[in-house]
Amino acid sequence: MNGDVLLILIVVLPFVGSVLAATFRPNARNSEAWLAGGVALACLILAAIAYPAIVEHGAIRSESEWLPTLGLNFTLRMDGFAWLFSVLVSGFGFLVVLYARYYMSPHDPVPRFFAFLLAFMGAMLGMVISGNLVLLVIFWELTSIFSFLLIGYWHHNAGARDGARMALTITGIGGLGLLVGVLLIGHIVGSYDLDRVLAAGDQIREHDLYVPALILILLGTLTKSAQFPFHFWLPNAMAAPTPVSAYLHSATMVKAGVFLMARLWPVLSGTPEWFWIVGFAGMASLLVGAFFAIFQHDLKGLLAYSTISHLGLITMLLSLGSPLGAVAAIFHMINHATFKASLFMAAGIIDHETGTRDMRRLGGLFRYMPITATLAMVASAAMAGVPLLNGFLSKEMFFAEAIETHAKSVLDTSAPYVAVLASAFAVTYSLRFIHTVFFGPKPTGLERQPHEPPFWMRFPIQFLVLACLVVGTIPALTVGPFLHTAVISVLGPNTPFYSLAVWHGFTLPLLMSAVALVAGVVLYLLLNGYLNRSEAGPPFIRRLQAQRIFERVLVVLSWKWARSIEARLGTRRLQPQLRLLVVAAFIAALLPISLDDLSLTSLRISEIDAVFVLIWVSGICCAVSAAYQAKYHRLAALILLGGAGLSTCITFAWFSAPDLALTQLLVEIVTTVLLLLGLRWLPKRIEEEGPKTVSLGTRFRRVRDFGIAVAAGGGVGVLAFVAMTSPVPLETVASYYLEKAYVEGGGKNVVNVILVDFRGFDTLGEVSVLAVVALTVFALLRRFRPAADSIAVPDQQRMQNDFDEAEPDRKVGDTIADYLLVPAVIMQWAFPVIIVLATYLFLRGHDLPGGGFVAGIAMAAAFILQYMAAGTRWVEERLRILPVSWIGLGLLLAALTGMGAWLFGYPFLTTYSQYVELPTVGATPLATALLFDLGVLGIVVGATVLMLIALAHQSTRGLRSARVATEAEQEEA
Amino acid sequence: MTPELYSSLSLILPELIITVGALALLMIGVYSGERANNTVTGLAVAVLLAGGAWLVLFGGSGQAFNGAFVADPFAKLMKILMLIGSIVTLIVSVGFAKAEKFDKFEYPVLILLATVGMMLMISANNMMTLYLGLELQSLALYVVAAFNRESARSTEAGLKYFVLGALSSGMLLYGISLVYGYTGHVGFQQIAAALSGSERQLGLVFGLVFVLAGVAFKISAVPFHMWTPDVYEGAPTPVTTFFASAPKMAAMALMVRVTMTAFEPISSDWRQIVVFISVASMLLGSFAAIGQRNIKRLMAYSSIGHVGFALVGLAANSEAGVQGVIIYMLIYLAMTLGTFAFILAMRRKDGNVEQISDLAGLATTNPVMATILTILMFSLAGIPPLAGFWAKWYVFLAAINANLYGLAVIGVLASVVGAYYYLRVIKIMWFDEPVGGFVPMAGELRLVLGVSGAFILFYVLIAGPIGRVAEAAAKTFF
Repeated sequence: MNGDVLLILIVVLPFVGSVLAATFRPNARNSEAWLAGGVALACLILAAIAYPAIVEHGAIRSESEWLPTLGLNFTLRMDGFAWLFSVLVSGFGFLVVLYARYYMSPHDPVPRFFAFLLAFMGAMLGMVISGNLVLLVIFWELTSIFSFLLIGYWHHNAGARDGARMALTITGIGGLGLLVGVLLIGHIVGSYDLDRVLAAGDQIREHDLYVPALILILLGTLTKSAQFPFHFWLPNAMAAPTPVSAYLHSATMVKAGVFLMARLWPVLSGTPEWFWIVGFAGMASLLVGAFFAIFQHDLKGLLAYSTISHLGLITMLLSLGSPLGAVAAIFHMINHATFKASLFMAAGIIDHETGTRDMRRLGGLFRYMPITATLAMVASAAMAGVPLLNGFLSKEMFFAEAIETHAKSVLDTSAPYVAVLASAFAVTYSLRFIHTVFFGPKPTGLERQPHEPPFWMRFPIQFLVLACLVVGTIPALTVGPFLHTAVISVLGPNTPFYSLAVWHGFTLPLLMSAVALVAGVVLYLLLNGYLNRSEAGPPFIRRLQAQRIFERVLVVLSWKWARSIEARLGTRRLQPQLRLLVVAAFIAALLPISLDDLSLTSLRISEIDAVFVLIWVSGICCAVSAAYQAKYHRLAALILLGGAGLSTCITFAWFSAPDLALTQLLVEIVTTVLLLLGLRWLPKRIEEEGPKTVSLGTRFRRVRDFGIAVAAGGGVGVLAFVAMTSPVPLETVASYYLEKAYVEGGGKNVVNVILVDFRGFDTLGEVSVLAVVALTVFALLRRFRPAADSIAVPDQQRMQNDFDEAEPDRKVGDTIADYLLVPAVIMQWAFPVIIVLATYLFLRGHDLPGGGFVAGIAMAAAFILQYMAAGTRWVEERLRILPVSWIGLGLLLAALTGMGAWLFGYPFLTTYSQYVELPTVGATPLATALLFDLGVLGIVVGATVLMLIALAHQSTRGLRSARVATEAEQEEA
Repeated sequence: MTPELYSSLSLILPELIITVGALALLMIGVYSGERANNTVTGLAVAVLLAGGAWLVLFGGSGQAFNGAFVADPFAKLMKILMLIGSIVTLIVSVGFAKAEKFDKFEYPVLILLATVGMMLMISANNMMTLYLGLELQSLALYVVAAFNRESARSTEAGLKYFVLGALSSGMLLYGISLVYGYTGHVGFQQIAAALSGSERQLGLVFGLVFVLAGVAFKISAVPFHMWTPDVYEGAPTPVTTFFASAPKMAAMALMVRVTMTAFEPISSDWRQIVVFISVASMLLGSFAAIGQRNIKRLMAYSSIGHVGFALVGLAANSEAGVQGVIIYMLIYLAMTLGTFAFILAMRRKDGNVEQISDLAGLATTNPVMATILTILMFSLAGIPPLAGFWAKWYVFLAAINANLYGLAVIGVLASVVGAYYYLRVIKIMWFDEPVGGFVPMAGELRLVLGVSGAFILFYVLIAGPIGRVAEAAAKTFF
């Protein structure tokens, strides 16, 4: 078969199987097992087919384009080492499926289980045969996810949930670290292709980013392989169904970490950093795992800690940086998988048959299940490193390496002693496993009578134990060639000579083995009594559980801190939000000054007039007081706002912009009046309740807010000032208009010329919008119903009316009529004057300050004054204003003027200007723009007055509804 | 018509189609009254599709209106993304509208107007167009945030967004005027030319800071994020869907364009700012999300965090970085729309629920929904091989290649924390005791959820072509 197809099939088959498996009926145990077993077997066969090619060429590759923009290809690559793992993964997968068929109860929803298991197998296979580091990381994370789902399979069990979550949290974090590490490697090498990375060892080791990359990658591998200090998730993951533990926690998932370390061993190892980090983690796991394993009561807990210890052994071998160490590490990976998987399955059978995994409740099972017991004993012996079993061989190699000096240091010197001690512990816990479970008195209080499991459930164990025996006795003939292929693919030309013989003569390692065996047995005899009485966990430090610490840290970090951050920063109240926003902007603006050497050099204060400063100070005072009064006294705030606006007007005038000043002034007046009218209909402000005294905290808050406001406002002001006083860049649009206004527009008032000529189209748009706005305001206010509390007659009017009623010679309404009588009369008289003024402003607009807009506002002001002076009714009885007609005519006029240009073959809104001699007036500028301007005037007057009328009519309507309300009350009474 | 005007109009034709459509629909709505909602929604989708189709099929490139508006591959792609956001928002609103008395025809019209504003933002090539587009979009959004007038939370959300938004608009405008004051130009290219010609002035840096602050508010980046959780939680869920999708695309596009064109010569200045808001957003988004109990609020913090991640790409100031931002936003769009379709489907017989605890045991009561949400959550957490992982991959890669190691490391740490709370949602769904299922999903929600789930799951297969499209779009600036 073509290598391409073969590799892709190996990865794809399990996933396809997984999808299929998910569709089966919940209780289809048999068909699920057939499917899953078939898939696993197919993968195994595919791997077997690939073997000759691998031996011949070293590796087979499959490459297809995937993400060319990132330079990533979908590369699969199977060399000897990857092959070895593919066989382990698919072979063990097959055995576990077989075992699981009998292990799962008919009530378990098996489709989910087998679907996850197959998907996990696919991810694991993908991981080992990835030819690209990114692909590898992806499959790596997939194994984390599917192991999470598998561990949490029995989700009604709280232990399973927490175990699954913790496993995913730890391995997930590690995976992200690995991802960044891989990114760094890719950055160093310039490619993620495994072949290129493996060839760039020196380049990587010499790079500045070597240490960060190494630490991040090790974070991934050590978490995955449950190495100290990340070991604690593995015992918690024992809540998983036993087939899962047998598969994930012996042969596959936890091996992924050491697999990757071995995979990258040629490029990463051999440096002091590698030696220290990996060596320390390995040695600590070796010792701590073995020590803790002794004190477990849960069978699977014991096996889990033993796994940590054995993986520590492998890690330590890899840390040494010697080729022989790497050979031993790879060999032990195989051996450990073999005996540990069989032990997990045996533990599962025991659990299945007796209903408990607590070693204190078990005993004497040998008489019920002699075959299983014998198998478990052989496997335990392999775990303890008893000669003639596979565990012994790799342990001998380990001892031999431990004696060697690799890098002179405390770690290296202590290695042999630690090795012997850990091996002694291994003997102790293996012995305990066998002795307490299979020998001694019969168990009491079991739910059912234990017996041998079905043959096919036991078959995987038999097979594996047989492998232990065969490998242990004739290693060179069985595992030898495969191991050699794997070793060569990792070490390449550096592959050392090694011997797989059982007997090497009387050597130091043999002596160490003997010492460990004897010491282990002695230790067990000493501890036996204690162990059966004690609680789980090693003495003294059982309270110090890494998993507790982890959980505590997680809670503090992720819940308490997170909530307090949110409580501090994530307020839901608008005021603090605004405050934060302003402060953030202020600091953001302040930073450039403090961080850089930039400074406000262009701030020039010398040319400033004292009077001008005074105007501004009063303007600022007005603005600040307006802000201060905004909550407590709206009327005052509004008037003060007008004052601030006035100082702006004067500023415009001061800087020789009379037209702007005029416009600003009139706009100020009109808006203030309209706002005043609107104010009447706002709900009443909230009265201050409670005592007048203000607490210290409130006082502080006010002062602080005042400070913030002053700082931010001042900052904005200073910036604007600097910007405006700094020299003008050479080219601006202003100079263009200044030059062309008279020549082409025929007017000296540049602003007006721009409005009605250069940007006439814009103006047309703007006035149209103004018209629309006015109509909208009118339409909205027509339907507006004031809030209940603002309908009533205002206090002042009521008091005046009461006064009128009290006085015999006065009628109700007299005082109101008398109120402000003189100003009212003046305002009425001012009406024609203002109209004349507006006309004047309009006519001179082309050359001098003025124009249609200003004139329109002035005229509107005249109407507003009438309404204010005499009241709505009085005005409307005497004056027919048709604002809508004003608007319509204005728009029409403006548009027609624009279209007039078409008659003469010019584009829309082209103006024609000419001076005409008028009798008595003299030369008067007369441009077609003037007509356009007249249109603008009409619209401005109409719009403003329309809004005014809409507001003013509220008062009549409000009174009417108030009257209706009181009448209704009276009727009721 | 002059040829110049003609070519300008042809470039903005998609915008014109939608504008005219919005006004026409407003008329239809006004004259046919209360019953018109479904018709108007349907027509609004049609209008958006028409605009989008024109954009895809005939959208040219070039500048319009003397450089005020620009059409280029970047704008095209971002507009398509944004239109997808708008269209899906309208589609998922239908069921909700019926059930929650949300059926007012103004809603689709406002969405259309906001869409026009956003298209202008994306295509803005001078500060005026930028501001106009931004305001058109914002004004529509202020209204839709407060759309449910019966609900105090909704009105409060609208008001808050308005007050804060007005403040940030003020900042933006202030920044624009400073920039204009110091360079004498509003056009992006002209500003860039003026900047590269002269030495750096402090006032200009202030201008830059305020312009970026204004835009940062719109993408809800820290420290201008405060409105996000409240508005997300308070606004009706379809509106939140909209907030989380289309405006994010537009504002991010705007951010990219402003920094990559107008302020390109002072990149060292804005990169500092972008790095800061990126770090702050990632950290705050991740940490503050953990304590949330309301899923909409959770998504708000999640969006803050994701904006931070996307900005990592921008901080790189490279072609790969911009490509990363584009891809990030694309994938984020898919994830967000899917998640919100799910949130809209969180309905019991007595109405919609929004608490995360309401998801308990969903894997038992509704395994399909639970599976898709699990995929979405894993993707949001950035776990390979789902789309969310690739989004992060692109931006982190760009950051590392731009030697921003610190930023990349903080980003990874933040995504670890982020993964934790997404994981919590998954754990609640799969492992907690069921509290009762939801009513069956409406067809349109099914469609959106299914499509986005499939996109995320199979992104890895189509990553190549999408990467090329994003690359072409990113080339606009280089």
